[in-house]
Amino acid sequence: MHDQLRRARKRQMVIFLLVVVSMGGLLGRLYYWQIAEAHSGYNLAQLASQEHLQNQILNAPRGIIYDAAGHILATNVIRDDVYIEPLQFSVDHPDNPQEALTSLILTLHRVLPQVSENTLTQDFSLNQQAVLVATRINPVQSQQLQSLQLPDVFLEPRTWRVYPAGSLAAQILGFVSASTNQGVYGIEGQYNTLLAGKPGSFTAETDLNGNPLVVGASSEQPPVPGANITLTIDSNVEYMIQNDLDNAVKQLGAQGGSVTVVNARTGAVVAMAGNPTFDPNQYGNYSGQLGCLGTEGVYFNPSLYCAYEPGSVMKVVTMAAALDQGLITPDTTFYDPGYISFNDAPTVYNWNYQGYGRETMTQVLLHSANVGAAWVAHNILHAQRFYPYVAAFHLGQAYNIDGAEEPGDYRTPANSPQIWSPSDLTRQAFGQSIQVTPLQMAMVYQAIANGGVMMRPYIVASIDNNGHITTTQPQVQRRVISAKAAQELSGMLVSAAFDGAPQSTIVPGYTVASKTGTATTQGISATQTEASMAGFLPASNPQFVILVKLDRPAGSIFGITAAGPLWKTIAQQLMWYYHVPPDAGT
Amino acid sequence: MNNLNRASGATRKTPLKPILAAKRRRQLYPFFFSMGPVPLTIISVLLIGLMAVLYLTQLGQAVSANQRIQEMRAEQAVLQRQNQDLVNTIANEQSPGYIATQAKKLGLAPGGPQNVQIIVVKNLEPIANTDQHIQP
Repeated sequence: MHDQLRRARKRQMVIFLLVVVSMGGLLGRLYYWQIAEAHSGYNLAQLASQEHLQNQILNAPRGIIYDAAGHILATNVIRDDVYIEPLQFSVDHPDNPQEALTSLILTLHRVLPQVSENTLTQDFSLNQQAVLVATRINPVQSQQLQSLQLPDVFLEPRTWRVYPAGSLAAQILGFVSASTNQGVYGIEGQYNTLLAGKPGSFTAETDLNGNPLVVGASSEQPPVPGANITLTIDSNVEYMIQNDLDNAVKQLGAQGGSVTVVNARTGAVVAMAGNPTFDPNQYGNYSGQLGCLGTEGVYFNPSLYCAYEPGSVMKVVTMAAALDQGLITPDTTFYDPGYISFNDAPTVYNWNYQGYGRETMTQVLLHSANVGAAWVAHNILHAQRFYPYVAAFHLGQAYNIDGAEEPGDYRTPANSPQIWSPSDLTRQAFGQSIQVTPLQMAMVYQAIANGGVMMRPYIVASIDNNGHITTTQPQVQRRVISAKAAQELSGMLVSAAFDGAPQSTIVPGYTVASKTGTATTQGISATQTEASMAGFLPASNPQFVILVKLDRPAGSIFGITAAGPLWKTIAQQLMWYYHVPPDAGT
Repeated sequence: MNNLNRASGATRKTPLKPILAAKRRRQLYPFFFSMGPVPLTIISVLLIGLMAVLYLTQLGQAVSANQRIQEMRAEQAVLQRQNQDLVNTIANEQSPGYIATQAKKLGLAPGGPQNVQIIVVKNLEPIANTDQHIQP
């Protein structure tokens, strides 16, 4: 009995030990897979997560661009792209696919008439997982496709940048490239980082259908929306001015033109219009078109990028320099026989070779006498007293307010000692041999209108970065000339406005200070001119500075006849629109 | 045991300690320790089953909530899209080009400052509007 019990107990012990060893082995294996391997380089946990964890990028909505009145100039919409799955279709229809294919193509073509049946047939024959057949379909088409629930067809939503006002202010705004989603040119390009915002991410476990399980383990980094930007321009004013410019270019047979309007007191840009221009909603259609007299793409803002020889509008700089240094007064006289000879420079002639006899400095502007301007620059100012004022008026320097900007150029003894000659000085005095942009020239007149103080121009009024609002304050660039000199010069411009026409006939009810310019380009026929007019009104209390430039008008080549009527129309519209009180007779 | 004790002639008093001990055990230990293994197993299985049912119910509610959240997010996306479309439509219809086109269709012509005559009246003072009823 005892032996049997002993043997039984021994067998129990053996079985027990076997069970313990196997359990121990199992535990060891569990430890190996669950703990050791999970944190090893092979990282099973990570592999498992990849199977059911989804990481989604959350795109940040691009900021909206508004005009000064709060109207939207640029916003975003979502439109669907349509994809088909040719490979999946083959799998779904292994036998007799033709009938199903024909039916599907007919249905798709009915909803998307812009995609031909032939194109769809070709696309379905491609050996690809997914093929794009239509892009940016309208909401009605999206709705129809969604309700039809066609097999092997799916919609992919995409955000598009749209410009509800069409081509209005296109060259100010720029556009967003559909392929890169980055802003290009204008405000879109200059403020791209601010407008784009920051994308976010969303990580969560997914179910069998790939839907994220938000009640499970998930983490979300919300996107940061782009900043909204408000511009200083007014859509209505911009529209009126663009229309006026387009009509003038067409009427005069010009190759193009630009209008720049700035606030005389603050330097805020009120309008910038260019011709030719483009529609940022269809920017791709304009890729081959040129502006700036065929030298640059039409996407560039001509007010900032089309440097030109300003012609006689530059004479105010010559006069300002001499007045400010007390070297002349508006009544200083000299004798103008129609030409002036220099020892060290070629002879300068008046534009019509006409002599005006004894004339005052005011009359030099009135007659737009090149002789008088060259005399002041060469004989009175000399280079050392002329060029500092050219630089002080910010000519030849970019303002960087709205994307790409041409700084302009002119030779001085300092920057071109080998090439500069007094001939440059005499010619620059009346706006030749110097390249400036329309904005730069407009700001010259702004400084004069503002009592000699040049303001820094700006086009962005405020930026709203997710509740944090930054407002642009008018900023003084520098005092260029004294208030007395500015007042004297304003008086001279009032006398010279529209070639001395009675003020009451220019912009009725308002006094106008302006100067015309008719510039030629060396090497090009003298009939191919840049006709311009720059000025401000009301002269007694300047509100707006307007610069109008027409490129190579065919009908009439002079500033007074080509640019003058356009300048007058715009001036009248501005006074009327902003209800500026008349000052005539005050 | 007692018969043996009686058979051997030993007299024993009933010990108090086991009764007290049993009472104390009942006070100190939960009742199911007095259960046998079979009832204990059955009750354990029932409890585990109950917990499983409760857990599955919660899980089902979580899945329904997840589905509802998904539907609401999809609805939100649709509404956001519609909102953006409406904003775009409003912006388009507020644009000066659109207004000018519509005005032209209605037979209106653009008025301009050329049609406005400015009359300068010296020392003109504005008349204060004190009539509340005719204010817009």
